[in-house]
This record gives sequence, C-alpha cells and structure tokens, in this order.
Amino acid sequence: MARKTVFIDFSKCIECRACEVACEREHNGRSFINVFEWQEMAAMALNCRHCEKAPCLEVCPTNALYRDGDGAVLLAPQKCIGCLMCGIVCPFGIPELDSLDKIMMKCDLCAHRRAEGKLPACVETCPTDALLFGDFNDIQRMRRQKFTEKAIEIAKSGERIQFRGV
Amino acid sequence: MDEKLVPVVCPYCGVGCRLYIRSSDGHPLGIEYANDIPGISNENGKLCPKGNAVLEYVLARDRLKKPLKAKEQGKFVEISWSQAIKEVAERLKEYSKDDPNSMMFFGSAKTFNEPNYLIQKLARMLGTNNVDHCARLCHASTVSGLKAVFGAGAMTNTYRDIEEANVIFIIGHNFAETHPVGFRYVLKAKERGAKVIVADPRFTRTAWFADIYLQHYPGTDIALINGLIHVIIEERLYDEKFVRERCTGFDELAKTVEKFTPGYVEKITGVPADLIVQAARTFATGGKGVITWAMGITQHTHGHDNVRLLATLSAICGYQGREGCGVSPMRGQNNVQGACDLGVLPNVFPGYKAVSDPEGRKFFEEFWGTELSGEVGLTVIEAAHAIEKGKVRAYYVMGENPVISDANTNHVIKALHKLEFMVVQDIVPTPTMEFADIVLPAAAMLENEGSLTNTERRVQWSFQAINPPGEARPDWWIVSEIGKAAGFTGDGPKGFNYSGPEDILREVNACTPQYRGITPERLKANLAGIHWPCPSEDHPGTRVLYKERFLTSDGKAHLAAVEYRGPAETPDEDYPFLLTTVRYVGHYHTLTMTGRSRALVKRWPEPLAEIHPEDAERLGIKTGDWVKIVTRRGEYPIRAKVTRTVKKGVIAVPWHWGANVVTNDALDPVAKIPETKACACKVVKITEEEARELMKKVPPVIPEIEIVRG
Ligand code: SF4
Ligand code: SF4
Ligand code: SF4
Repeated sequence: MARKTVFIDFSKCIECRACEVACEREHNGRSFINVFEWQEMAAMALNCRHCEKAPCLEVCPTNALYRDGDGAVLLAPQKCIGCLMCGIVCPFGIPELDSLDKIMMKCDLCAHRRAEGKLPACVETCPTDALLFGDFNDIQRMRRQKFTEKAIEIAKSGERIQFRGV
Repeated sequence: MDEKLVPVVCPYCGVGCRLYIRSSDGHPLGIEYANDIPGISNENGKLCPKGNAVLEYVLARDRLKKPLKAKEQGKFVEISWSQAIKEVAERLKEYSKDDPNSMMFFGSAKTFNEPNYLIQKLARMLGTNNVDHCARLCHASTVSGLKAVFGAGAMTNTYRDIEEANVIFIIGHNFAETHPVGFRYVLKAKERGAKVIVADPRFTRTAWFADIYLQHYPGTDIALINGLIHVIIEERLYDEKFVRERCTGFDELAKTVEKFTPGYVEKITGVPADLIVQAARTFATGGKGVITWAMGITQHTHGHDNVRLLATLSAICGYQGREGCGVSPMRGQNNVQGACDLGVLPNVFPGYKAVSDPEGRKFFEEFWGTELSGEVGLTVIEAAHAIEKGKVRAYYVMGENPVISDANTNHVIKALHKLEFMVVQDIVPTPTMEFADIVLPAAAMLENEGSLTNTERRVQWSFQAINPPGEARPDWWIVSEIGKAAGFTGDGPKGFNYSGPEDILREVNACTPQYRGITPERLKANLAGIHWPCPSEDHPGTRVLYKERFLTSDGKAHLAAVEYRGPAETPDEDYPFLLTTVRYVGHYHTLTMTGRSRALVKRWPEPLAEIHPEDAERLGIKTGDWVKIVTRRGEYPIRAKVTRTVKKGVIAVPWHWGANVVTNDALDPVAKIPETKACACKVVKITEEEARELMKKVPPVIPEIEIVRG
C-alpha cells in the first residue's frame, strides 16, 4: 500500500500561514497544521506525520484510530472516549482534545477532499510548494532526480567553460 | 438547491489570483482552488492566507445594508435609495454650478474597472479633474517615474518573466510577505539557479532567500542604486549596444554617479562596500534580470527619483524589451493598475491621455458630449490641504479610507471636520465614514461582477458568486444612477444609461486604446484574461512591453541622473530613531476587510513595533512592553518586539492599525506621494494605562456607527 502523506520542505516555508487558514476553513474553524518560527527567522509547518508505526494507533484502547485506504491515520469520533492516550504518546503532540465534544481531533489528510480526488487543502494552497503530498519513496526519488539534474547541469557548464579555454 | 462553482478574482492584493466560490442560491458555501485554469497568475490554484479567508469579510456582521443619512457626526438614519441618490445628485450639481473644483472624487483600487471608469467620468462631466485614488499613496511615484524613463507607468513584464529571469533584484518590499503567491515565481527562478539580491532595512522573510542581502538605512535608496550603477559603469558591465541604440542621457548619468564609489555609498547607506560591488556584478552579468519594488521605494519624498533610477539601472543592463527581463512594481490592491489605466487620476483621462493636452481633451469632449476642464486636478493629499483653505468643500469617496491610509492622520481628520458635504460609498463602516453626510452601501467584489487589472497588466473578469446583503448595490449601479440623476441622460457614452458592467467595458474599449480588444465577451470566455496593450479583438495581448521602442517622444529610454537626497526628516537629538512602516502577510491596507476576518485576526491580532536589541536595552524595553512612538505629528501607542531583524537605530511599525498618526506627510514634488516610509521619531516606554489613554486618541480601525430612528 502506497502510504501518502504531507511532506514539509522547511527551507521554502515563508511563514505565510496560508496552510493554517486553509485547514481551519476545511475543518470547522480548527487548524491541524501549525507553523512555528525559530530564532526569529526560520519557519516550519508541522502536522500529523501519519507515522508508519503510529504510536497513537497502537495505544488507542477503543480502536478509534484507524488507517484508511491511503494509509492516513483517521479518528472515528463515535468510538473516541477522550482518554488522551494518543495525544500523550504522539512524539509531535498532534492529537488535541476538543474541549466541547471531549473527543480527540487530528489531521485527517483532508479525507473529504481526497474522496473527490483533490489534494489536501494545506498542500494545494501553499504558495511556495513547501508542502508536498505524496508517497515517501516517490518524493525521495524525485529529490534524487533533481539533485542529479543539477549535478549534470553543473558538470555541463564546467565543460563549456573548458571549451572556451577559461 | 443549485450548487455552483463561480470563478472569481481574489478581492485582495494585486497578484490577482483566481479562485472559485462554491455557492447555493446566492449563499456562500466555501471556496475551491482554481487549479484547472491554465495561464492564470496563481498556477495550481495557490492562494495566500488572505485568499483562503475571502469569505469571512463578506459575511461580516456590520456590513452596510441600507443607505444612511447623518443626523450628526457618526449618527445616521436609514433612508431609501431614491432619496439618497436624489440628494447626492442635487448637491453635486449645486457645487458643479458654483465651482466644480470645490468637489473631490475618490475612486478605488479595490473595486472593478467599470465603476472606476464611471467615477472619473462623473467628476469630469461635472467639470472637475479633482479625481484620484489610493494609488497616490502607494505607487504614484512608480507611475510618474516609469513614465519619465520609459514613457508609461506600468510593469513592463509579467510573472512568467520573473520565473524566467537569471537575477532578481528585490528592493523596498518584503515580497514573500506582501505577495506570497507572486513570490512563488521568485522561488521558482531561484530553483532554476537564478540569483536573488534583496535590499531592505529589515532582514525579512524575503531576505532569507537572498544570495546577496544589502541592509541599507530607510530612505538611502538613491545612494545605494547610484552605487550599483557606478560599479556597473566603472567595470563596463552595462549593455553598450542597448545603451547606444535605445537610451539617451548616458553621459550625464556616468558623470553623476562618478562620486558614488562603493566606499562613499557605504558611509551613507551602511552597506559594506564589497557587497555593493558583488551585487552590481551579479545583477549586470545575469543576462536576464528583473527588478521588483513597492512602497519602500515609492513612499518617499524622492520616490519619483528612486523609481527613475531603478528603471535606469534596468535599462543600462539591457533588461528591457526581452523575455525574462523587466521591471515589476508590485501593486498592493487588486485593481490599482486598472484604476490608473481608466483615468482615476487628476492629470489624465482613460488611457493616460493628459487632460492638459487639447487633442486628447477634444476626443473626450466629443465622446462624452460635454465641455471638459483642461486644468490638472488635485491629488489625495493636496485635497486635504485644499479643504483647509476653503477651496474644496465636498468629497465623494468610493471605497477609500483616508483617515487610516493618509500620512499624518491628525491633519486629515482636522480637514474632514471642515467639509460641507461628504458621501462615502463602501461595504462596511470605516473611520472615514464617521464624517459622511450620506452613506451608500455597496456590494462587495464577490457580490457583483466586472473586470479587474492585476499588477502585471492582466485584465480578468470576475463573476458574481453570491448575493449582496440587504439593499447593497454594485458600485457601477450606484455611480450610474447618480450620473443619471445629475442630468446626464444622453445616449451611449454621452450619458449614464447602462444595463450592466458589460456596457461600460464596451465604452472603455471604445475610448481606451490599450483596452480596445479587451471586450467583455473575450474576458468571459478566457478566464486567464488578457495583458494590455491589446489594440484589437484578434490581438492576443502583450506580455513584454517595449520590444522595439519605448513610449517616450523619441522612443528611447531617458536615463535619469539623480543626486543623493535623504529622507525629508532625519534623526536628531530630540527624535533619535528612524521610523519606517511595514506590513503583515495576513493583513491588508486599512484593515477594512482583513480586520473583519476571524482567521486572520486570530493569527495577526495586533501591531508590534520592531526594535533592535541594543536600542531596546538602552531604553529598558523588553518584548511585550508598551511604548509610544512620538514624532513631530503625533503619538502612537504600541507594544514592542525586540528583534535583530531591524537595523540599529531603526523602528519598524506595521501601519494597518492606524500608525499614520505619526508618519510624515511631506510630499514628493513630482509624484505627490507622502513620505510614509521614513521619518524621525523617539520611543518612550509607557505603562499599559498610559497606552490605553493614548489609544482613545487614535481613530479606531473598526468603528461602530450608530443608526438612530427618524
Ligand atoms: S492535510 Fe488537511 S487536515 Fe491535515 S493539516 Fe493539511 S489541511 Fe489540515
Ligand atoms: S502555506 Fe506553505 S509557505 Fe505558507 S506557512 Fe504553510 S508551509 Fe509555510
Ligand atoms: S496573493 Fe493576493 S491575490 Fe493571491 S490570494 Fe493572496 S491576496 Fe489574493
């Protein structure tokens, strides 16, 4: 099963928070992605990693957390008892308690949008492509390819310089 | 229920992104990204946070729903449309008979081309050229400066050219923050290997992506650009063929920049000499280069000269008339370009024909069937001064908010008190509205339709997605009703009988050469729009300007030689800091729209004054402390943020919340733009109580207007 998730290239993030506003709009006023600023200048968006060995999923006593066809870790609200176990074991502190309904809430990789064949809202909107939606292996392959293309380009420009006798 | 996806243009900034509004029976349900329209300015449907929140301000609880008439300042009674229109038209007619120049009209860069065309037509048919809009406060110097060098005041290229450039020089704006979607094209160029040079007094989000970062003092741009030109000429890195064939004034330029050696420029600007040399070499040898700027360049008493120099820098490197090259002034509001193109300026008719030119005037006299004034009208700031002298007595303000947007607010408020008659047409209450005699409730952009021209000269049609609240009406309808009631009932262009924005755009096609082929039918069929100039209906539009000749009288670029001048006010003993204004990505102009969006206010709740750690320590200020910024014009309370991103001696304050109470209204002599980007100030630590007291004196950005009975 190809497991797709949202990847973050923090070197491109401009801290515009469009992703937060988009997620909030799609999820009744609550954003499941957060943009952090470090040392005044560097910024990074963080949302659920939908981990391969998801601790939240493993500890959930009622099996309220489950995986869908794309491998996203989702929460079934009717099963959640608000015990906070998932929130405690998540190394990123992602699942949050909804104070009104007393159940946990987390990024669902925009299940409603994926069902219509659309990208998650945060990915679709990110102006700088800092957020990518895809399979980890595909993304790594793409990055390797880009790196090689650049290396070839540099090598070629080196040749040109040699031809000109520089 | 019929659910629809309606393609609209984002009502915020000048990038002019497209998106869909999902609606049912005229009620908004949500938005959808426009990732299926090829060739638009936001490819793949990208949107910034404002674009993502577009529905929130439309649904604001305090939307204006009925025409209002003032009983006393800030207190209104509801009246009917017929009464409102009759009263406005009659008053305007009286002033027109008495002295047309006692009226001032404001168009708006936040509404469509069509109402903007109409408001200037109304002003001019009533006998005055006193018509202007907020471009005066942002890009007036761009228009005048580029016109002086190239013959016209628009961006000479498009976003695609930014993406294809090899070197991008960003000066005087925080591109990543002010136009995140536009900045996308800079990053794409960078990914391809392009070099990015950023000059800014603050180390911004944009500077983070710079290959070369020049941190100069606010207001020292002339010295910096002269320094770059000096190196380029000295090292013969300029495009000799281009200069010989297509430019004039090179010798004088070379002579003027002679003394701007990197060492001398370092002393003025604070930028290390070797960085200046490096930047100059990188820019001139890139092969394809783009320069972008915004308010950090324009809002100065030497804004006009700043722009002329940037145009000169671009021209001597041969970066004009080719793809991947050009100059890109970034416009703040989505229709700044369109409002300018359609003559919402005191000196030109639609299509930039000078009012003082008898031939152009004759054309419009025949077209509109009335006699027109050849006297250049008043600009925004001049109008405020003219009220004091009793020369201007009436204002018609369409979608503008001078109380927050003009420099030196206290002066503006004093002036507005003196007006005899003021009409404000807007979608929500603004502090300016408190002075209105008549308030006309307008439909917001998503609630009506029309064409808009984005920062890259792209004209797009935005469709009506939802219904306006209450009795709010489209801007074009309001102005045309007033035109008719004022007696302009002639046929076709001679009157104000229109059945919709299409009619008006067809009239624009007939009188504006740049827009001749941009018909409503074409725009509706082609969602990506058309870049003007588009001289005929079978013309595809123009991506790059000036391929063969410039629009100056001799067809050449008139290079500018400019001596160094600093800001009108520089720090001294009493006011030791240099104040500059900035903006936040989530907010937009005077907060009329973004201030009513929950998602945006939540993330950007209040302004913070940025101060360098060393300065802060000397004054005993920590992040979160209240301070007041004091200038010769007023006091402004704000909380401090201690940060290394600003240069020592500089204080940076976002202006959306009304910081213009302290800024300088000294004007650029040519562009008539006030110097909001640099003035002397002092910073005083205060208590929270003192801050509260001071806050009462600053006009509230979101006022409550009172509606009383009978
Ligand atoms: S994938 Fe969807 S739910 Fe998850 S953070 Fe992005 S927008 Fe929010
Ligand atoms: S939308 Fe993209 S660039 Fe903007 S904050 Fe989110 S991840 Fe960063
Ligand atoms: S970049 Fe400008 S036009 Fe695009 S979504 Fe943001 S505010 Fe709207």
